[in-house]
Amino acid sequence: MTSRAIQQTTIDVNSVAQQKAAIHVNNVTLAYKSSNSDSVVALDNVSCSIESGKFVVLIGPSGCGKSSLLMMMAGLRHPTQGEISCNGKPVTGPDPDRVGVVFQEANLYPWLNAQKNVEFPLMLKKIPAKERSERALEVLDLVGLAKFAKSFPHELSGGMKQRVSIARGLVHHPGVLLMDEPFAALDEQTRLTMGDELLRIWQRTKQTLVFVTHSLTEAVYLADEIIVMSARPGRIAETIPIPLPRPRTMDMMSTEVFGQLRGRIWRLIRDA
Amino acid sequence: MNSRLSRTALHPLTLFLLSLLVVWELVSRTGAIAPGVLPPASKVFGVLAELLQRPAVWKAIGVTAWAVLVAFLIAVPAGIAIGVFLAENRYWGAVLKPFFYFLFSIPKSIFLPMFILAMGIGIPQKIAYGVFSAIFIVVISISAAVESIRGSHIMVAQCYGATRRQIVAHVYLPSMLPAILETLRLGMIFNFTGVILAEMYVSRTGIGHLIGVWGENFQLPQLLAGIVIVSAAAVIFNEVVRAFEKKYGHWRTE
Repeated sequence: MTSRAIQQTTIDVNSVAQQKAAIHVNNVTLAYKSSNSDSVVALDNVSCSIESGKFVVLIGPSGCGKSSLLMMMAGLRHPTQGEISCNGKPVTGPDPDRVGVVFQEANLYPWLNAQKNVEFPLMLKKIPAKERSERALEVLDLVGLAKFAKSFPHELSGGMKQRVSIARGLVHHPGVLLMDEPFAALDEQTRLTMGDELLRIWQRTKQTLVFVTHSLTEAVYLADEIIVMSARPGRIAETIPIPLPRPRTMDMMSTEVFGQLRGRIWRLIRDA
Repeated sequence: MNSRLSRTALHPLTLFLLSLLVVWELVSRTGAIAPGVLPPASKVFGVLAELLQRPAVWKAIGVTAWAVLVAFLIAVPAGIAIGVFLAENRYWGAVLKPFFYFLFSIPKSIFLPMFILAMGIGIPQKIAYGVFSAIFIVVISISAAVESIRGSHIMVAQCYGATRRQIVAHVYLPSMLPAILETLRLGMIFNFTGVILAEMYVSRTGIGHLIGVWGENFQLPQLLAGIVIVSAAAVIFNEVVRAFEKKYGHWRTE
């Protein structure tokens, strides 16, 4: 069941992923009124393109608008100017068929067990109970939590909760998974393990992944490409491809290339 | 754990009730408390058994139960509706919430004479006063429950394409269920108190009326039997709802 389920996942996601660039951000500006009613520009004329099937990391100092950019890709916020398209269609609101979202907090519903939490997006779409539970168990298996399907969130560790949240993001087989600092609330060891786990999942599903983080090491370790942002107003400072081979291993963290990339990104953020 | 306890020893609740009865019987029989003030338990329960064979007593219980039930069925849904409205509507919440908080803090009993003047004595007045006694706690608890719903839980639902209705059904209701059950309990306590008070103050029937009369005539065994009846009804309702609270609020341990 396991390998067939994963094949199925891979095929579904691939068919979506083949449709060229996943996300286009065109001249997006985001401004909002602050509490003293001054207009604050969170993002200033940002453009970027996220290629299908790539693991792209957004990194930058606090207040650079990286999370806002991600929320706009998810359709949860709207640009003041400019537009964002996903698989060729403009993003006007949340679209779970195209985009799955994982937040910093797992944000599971405490009154539902792991499986029901994962089924939640399918339940909203009124998918029959049997199919719902099959698909939920499939993705729970993918994130390594098949045994915990009946556990409630308060019975799971922080890392396990976040895995359930990832499974929930994947259950629709969306072409794009957006992750907003998903491991920031975890301790360092769990964080490293979760990084590897995420790479393993991503290598099976091969979907587009946009990942916001504060951690330089995490960014270099995970990404195909890193978009470095600067703050006040939020702009894209540089896009850096990460040429490290896959699969990534912990040993790579101590190589010279890794250190140089990390240093370069740090200088960009510091000087921005 | 409970089941293990009950196998090895007396159930804690049984033990408590038995001890209460034994101590009650003893203090009265030994004269530690004058039997004129506290008749022995055996006598009170004998009177209780006898009272429960009188149709008039059952009629009084029925009248009270009816008033309590109708008041409950009005106060709880209305209170929930008002509470949700005040929490969801920022402007009207700001305008009306102080009114509910102020009234909640005032002892409701001072308004009872006004209810009697306006509505006379009888079932409608008891119901109205029961509703009045209970509705403020319902409004306040429910509006607090709505405000405590986590924004992130709503955002997750939105990001998976939930409609407004689905958010209400699948986020608001389950989030609020433990608070709603708690509100049912509190609402019933206040409502029951209101109806009994109205009956004791001026009324022609009802268990509250009987208790009032027995008290005035120094019929202590009857008075205590009445207290036992009312207490049993209140405790049973409370425990039933509490059992539901435990069942549906288990995730609150988080």
